[in-house]
Amino acid sequence: MNPWIAIGALAVVGIGIPIGMMAVSSLLRPSVPEQGKSATYESGEIPTGTARIQFNIQYYMVALLFVVFDIETVLIFPWTVIYRSALEQGVSLGAVLTPMLVFVGILVVGLLWAWRNGAVEWVKSPRATRRKTERQS
Amino acid sequence: MTAPAAFAGLTALASPMQMGQLPDWTALAPVLILAVTGLVLLLIDSIDADTTNSALLAGVSTLGAAAALAATAWSLATGVGQDGGAITLFADALVVDGMSLFFTAIFTSVVVMVTIASYDYLRDHKHQGEFYSLVLFAASGMALMASANSLATVLVSLELASLPSYVLVAYLKENRGSVEAGLKYFLIGALSAAVFTFGISLVYAATGSLIFADIAEALSGGEFVGIAGLGVLMVAGGFAFKTASVPFHFWAPEAYEGAPAPVSAFLSSASKAAGFAVAFRVFVEAFPLATIPEGINWVLAFQILAVVTMTLGNFAAATQENVKRMLAYSSIGHAGYALIGLAALSAGGSANGNVLGASMAHLFVYGFMNTGAFLFIAMVERWGVGRTFEDYNGLATQAPVACVAMSVFMFSLAGLPPFGGFFSKYFLFFEAIENGFWWLAAIGALNSVLSLFYYSRVVRAMWFEDPSGSFELGSQPVGLYAAVMIAAVGTVLLLPGFPPVIETAQTVAGTLFA
Repeated sequence: MNPWIAIGALAVVGIGIPIGMMAVSSLLRPSVPEQGKSATYESGEIPTGTARIQFNIQYYMVALLFVVFDIETVLIFPWTVIYRSALEQGVSLGAVLTPMLVFVGILVVGLLWAWRNGAVEWVKSPRATRRKTERQS
Repeated sequence: MTAPAAFAGLTALASPMQMGQLPDWTALAPVLILAVTGLVLLLIDSIDADTTNSALLAGVSTLGAAAALAATAWSLATGVGQDGGAITLFADALVVDGMSLFFTAIFTSVVVMVTIASYDYLRDHKHQGEFYSLVLFAASGMALMASANSLATVLVSLELASLPSYVLVAYLKENRGSVEAGLKYFLIGALSAAVFTFGISLVYAATGSLIFADIAEALSGGEFVGIAGLGVLMVAGGFAFKTASVPFHFWAPEAYEGAPAPVSAFLSSASKAAGFAVAFRVFVEAFPLATIPEGINWVLAFQILAVVTMTLGNFAAATQENVKRMLAYSSIGHAGYALIGLAALSAGGSANGNVLGASMAHLFVYGFMNTGAFLFIAMVERWGVGRTFEDYNGLATQAPVACVAMSVFMFSLAGLPPFGGFFSKYFLFFEAIENGFWWLAAIGALNSVLSLFYYSRVVRAMWFEDPSGSFELGSQPVGLYAAVMIAAVGTVLLLPGFPPVIETAQTVAGTLFA
């Protein structure tokens, strides 16, 4: 038997189950239209305004720095896996450590630069604060 | 990769090689010097976050680029990667051979000129440290592109060269034109990178490898020709973006016009050469004509692209009123000439290495004359003279020396006899005829004649027209002058100095076909 038949069957079942569930529930459920059901779900908060607002650019900076170090962890992981067995098989400590240290060192230079240029400082916008106080008063 | 192979890779880093006492990885010295210089610039910028010490920043970057150029020249002279065969590193992901060094020499010379010129151009601008470090990071990406030996490294190094370029184009962030150019460049770049990556995945699907030599071997089996052919076509599209060739050329006029002129010089010379470096290697090594299945005839694709690119570039350039935009289109036209290096290849052709080498030599000369022309524009922008041909009227009465240099660039770009551009074009067309593609050479020659029309317009405006208003050129920008003069002297010296260049280029290109 062609092994693709099994995959095709899996796809049919995978598509069939959700469609079947939705069809059954639409047959069984009572219909009670209500405003709250069509509102946007915002983690229990009542949504105000539209979603098309300008976010503070600093969220982006923090997110970017996070991604950099997140990826760094992913790329160091394979190195940690071979570290011990590489040493056991007689590779010198320098040859094992140097590439990782260089890699981290490059990222440290980048972080240092970002820090010194104020990317990790949460700068307050005087205009936004002023607008906020105006709205409250 | 299995564990023992990984250890072999680690120990290879420390093992001495045949050539003297130097370990293998030192063959990458030019790339490493460029990258380290970029990091040093970031450190300088970290110590004094708002530094406007242009002399220090420009000095460090010029020194770094010059050191990388010296390392490249030394490697070329002593035969690193040539005498003992190509040096491969990191499990064949990178290769250092004559061709990668030849192209690295182009990139580093352009960077030297651009950083010297930026010293004046960037005065009064903020974020200078970032500018120089981005230029050097982009340059190290380009040098890596020339050394890439696997499609994965091609993609990574191409992005390393592209991402700083997007930022550099939008460097004048108060200037609408610059920001718009940066955004357009970025969007088209992202699109073509997606096409390119998809092409790589198809090639990988068809061959099961990313290393060029393995791809060539798998393709010669003649399996999955359809998938591989589509992949090859999409990979070619990715290179068309990087080299500003049809069909991904339309970002070039916008980006070159909006960008700061030194960045335009950098992109239109070095970045274009980097695209060609990697395209040459990928198509000659990974998809060799001799063994590739009949269905994947990329030579035909490049013949169409070369003819369309050079014709479109030259005709569009002839209709421009803005000098910088004219140069941008002329740069597209030159991409068409350089594409002859791939378009005039044939399976087992006797002059394959020579035609590819001639194209490389043309890119070398082009690196000087085109960078010089854009840096002259930078100087004119610095003076505050307008951007159209009319604004250049009578400029020679005010700045004769610079105008002589600009005339040299224009005539050399057009390919007139007493300058470097003549020989490089002559050899390119001659070798194309030798390899049996007389019609490509004929179309190229016709286009060169047309290009003389718009190049000479600049010269006529500068020397023969009367000034329409009075000029107030103000201060003499020393750095810009020096950079333009270096480019001019380079363009002139490449006339007597052309034989060694073409000889080196054809030798190193010949080894690709061996």
